[in-house]
Amino acid sequence: MAERRPKVIGFCCEKHGMDAAVLSARSGKQLDASVRIVQVPCTGRVDGIHLLKAFEDGADAVFVLGCLEKNCYYDTGSIEGRKRVGYVKQMLTEVGIEKERLEMFNSASSNAWAFPDAVSKMVDIAKKLGPIGGGERQ
Amino acid sequence: MIVAKRKPLNEIAEMLAPYKKVTVIGCRSCVAICLAGGEKEVKMLVSALKVKNKKEGKKQEFEGFVVERQCEKEWIKEVEDKVLGSDVTLSMACSLGAQTIGDMYPIHLTFPGLNTGIFGVPEEQGVWSEKCVGCGNCIIHTTGGICPISRCAKSMLNGPCGGSANRKCEVNLEIDCAWAAIYDRLKIQNRLDLIENVTPAKDWSTSHSGGRRTYVREDARLTPHQKKGKEAVQ
Amino acid sequence: MKAKVQVVLCRCCTEMPALLNMERLQKLAAESNNVVSVMTVDAACDGKNLAPAINEAKEKEIDRAVVFACHKKDISPAIVKAYRRAGVNEFLVEFVNMREEVVLPHMSEPERAQAKAETKMKAALIRSIMLAPLERQTEEMKTRNVVIIGAGVAGQAAAHEASKAGVHTILLEKTGKSLKAPGIIMTNAQLVGASGYGGNLQLKIKAGEKIENLGAAAVVIATGGGWTTLKGPLAKSVKDAVPLYKFYEQMQTGSVPKGPIVVVDTPDPAGKTMKVQDYAWDDTLETTIELKKKHPETQIFVIFQEMRAFGLSELAYKEAAELGIKFVRYDKGGAPKVDPKNPGVLMVKDFAQGELLNIRFGTLVFASIPPNEDNKAIAEALRIPMTMDGATRRGSIQRWPVSTPRSGVFVCGSALFPKSRDVAKAEGAAAGAMAGEFVKRGRIEFGGIVALVTQEKCSACLTCIRTCPYEAPFIGTASKVEIRVQACQGCGMCVGICPSKAIELHNYTDDQIAEEARVLLGGDF
Repeated sequence: MAERRPKVIGFCCEKHGMDAAVLSARSGKQLDASVRIVQVPCTGRVDGIHLLKAFEDGADAVFVLGCLEKNCYYDTGSIEGRKRVGYVKQMLTEVGIEKERLEMFNSASSNAWAFPDAVSKMVDIAKKLGPIGGGERQ
Repeated sequence: MIVAKRKPLNEIAEMLAPYKKVTVIGCRSCVAICLAGGEKEVKMLVSALKVKNKKEGKKQEFEGFVVERQCEKEWIKEVEDKVLGSDVTLSMACSLGAQTIGDMYPIHLTFPGLNTGIFGVPEEQGVWSEKCVGCGNCIIHTTGGICPISRCAKSMLNGPCGGSANRKCEVNLEIDCAWAAIYDRLKIQNRLDLIENVTPAKDWSTSHSGGRRTYVREDARLTPHQKKGKEAVQ
Repeated sequence: MKAKVQVVLCRCCTEMPALLNMERLQKLAAESNNVVSVMTVDAACDGKNLAPAINEAKEKEIDRAVVFACHKKDISPAIVKAYRRAGVNEFLVEFVNMREEVVLPHMSEPERAQAKAETKMKAALIRSIMLAPLERQTEEMKTRNVVIIGAGVAGQAAAHEASKAGVHTILLEKTGKSLKAPGIIMTNAQLVGASGYGGNLQLKIKAGEKIENLGAAAVVIATGGGWTTLKGPLAKSVKDAVPLYKFYEQMQTGSVPKGPIVVVDTPDPAGKTMKVQDYAWDDTLETTIELKKKHPETQIFVIFQEMRAFGLSELAYKEAAELGIKFVRYDKGGAPKVDPKNPGVLMVKDFAQGELLNIRFGTLVFASIPPNEDNKAIAEALRIPMTMDGATRRGSIQRWPVSTPRSGVFVCGSALFPKSRDVAKAEGAAAGAMAGEFVKRGRIEFGGIVALVTQEKCSACLTCIRTCPYEAPFIGTASKVEIRVQACQGCGMCVGICPSKAIELHNYTDDQIAEEARVLLGGDF
């Protein structure tokens, strides 16, 4: 069986989420290249539809990275993001998909470790659980 | 309004398992408002089922959309091709919608995606509580605006039962005793004398206990002459 | 009209070519749909480098651009401006962060980085073609009024500072006390209603018995703390308990307080309704030191959960202890309460010794005060959020310490949480300066990336209205939701939550996000 590269995708808010990702890169942190990032203005913009579609489109693990809840740039956006992730996790459980494949993270823009930690956690999960349905990647 | 809840996804998946082509139809009315069957929920459901199929190596075709009000034949007629073109229709509306489609196309299979539900009041965003059971003879003008049929676990008509304690219901401590609330309400309205009136035993024939009910407005009905020539609905 | 895309690849001096194959990226761009120009620059952050690209953009009538460089916040303003001059809509200029997403984190994996870069390019170009041009709008402010609610320490400071900016200040004072401050002063006046949005607010003010309508460009909330109400179980059980500021005032008039003096940190020791506030310590220590020096024979106790004498106040703490003021620490398990059998005695368990102390008191003083009860009415009138403890909420403690989330509405002083006079004055000045600067602009700018409702799809479920922190969605004349564009911040929370998918956020529509994700996931790296 050939080595399968995991597919991890993260929806990061344009504010503290992306700032944390940029800071980690500028601090020299190295990441598994499997991670893809989609920028959204706020994690409150993230719809359960995007998360589920990501799994449909081949993601092994999906995460959402937003501001710390007490310091969200848009006041309550990351609270909303957390709720969306929670709802989809419940749906995943109902269809027999491991809910660990989806996770919510929060970070301050000044935290250089948060993004690499989130990525490595999700890459580990993607490697451990493998692609959904095993077998060939589309 | 009518409040419904989506059935667990594994139950829905099991219902749909034998079929290849599935239409999922939601509704823009009550079930959209109670976050169970609007366009977003329809899209999420379809996506979740596709992910499940991906896991199990199954192939099904899904098409999901909403209609304005699923209990009205005119709106169903507009999507007739999509309904009849599928092997099964999953209704993400309340059971009224599901049954409307079923009645219109009796040979076609229409399954319920939601469990209906209650007449619920949005107490706060995301919380709907039952305050009416459709008894058909509303008496809340005598109880300060609070319905004892729905909000009292025993549907008492004359004051609290002996089990009411600390303003809570003995059947379920999380429920407030409706009669304690009625007392408080009548008190601030200065109508406490109403509580002393003895309400006789309820005539339940106006409620569902009397069998399936039909409400009619004779003046609104179309005469045969009016109906003729309107092919949409018969 | 067919989209015409210009691709700008930045070398980031030498960083990009060190890891990526620039020629392959250039080729991929040139072969992509709708791309009519591919430029490579050494450093997009240096404006001079852009001139050739901008010139070519003008020549080839480019209508959109994708810049592959570093973090957009660092380079976008200048580049967008430059493109605007070339006739490109500012919202059709996209930035893709190759440096921090592809180059810097994958330095030891050039092949994977290359594949990732090419996938990102593909996704960005597909996204670019899906974008729509958006327009910002401006609206003139109809007045230059800054209405300041509350003429206390903070309010007066705000009035002074705002008037320096040349705007009209109107100070609303609830009581009839006489005041001196710049601008107009309305006593016996309260805010009872408001509509509109920051820049063009319509306020309803109750002055005496009349209701007056007043247009305003900005509002500063300086309603102060709940000085006159002492709430909390401990306050209820002691008649004549007095808040610290009042105690201090009485001291200044020369009256001798009845000893022993017991200062308790909060009238709600179990902490159910009020947290202990930091300001209390400065003023408590100063007050008790002054009192002890004037009346050395008077016994003084300070009962507290946490002593937060920060900075130079630590010296005051030391001095107070040396003067013989007794400090008794408690925790929630041994919170102070009045002896039910003896109303002149306070029972508290000393944390250090573990012993229950019975302290006889002549005067009970509370260092902390509850939030102002007016906060709720003001919050409802202006439709701004409150904190869990009933104070006015600020936008963000870092970025907008004297603003509410609502544009044009500022807040300062003890309306946020009780603080000493000096700090309240400083905050008032800050809020006044911000309000003055805001109003001086004379116009508000809004639009661009804002939410848009398709009314036919709206179920009028009110979910967006309840969720938006900025009061942007509202029920319009068609009984469907409309967006108050002047207030919309473009976060998309309403878009993500709408059960009928009636709201969209350009340029972050569901399709655009989903397509970008799909293409990224399709890449093999």
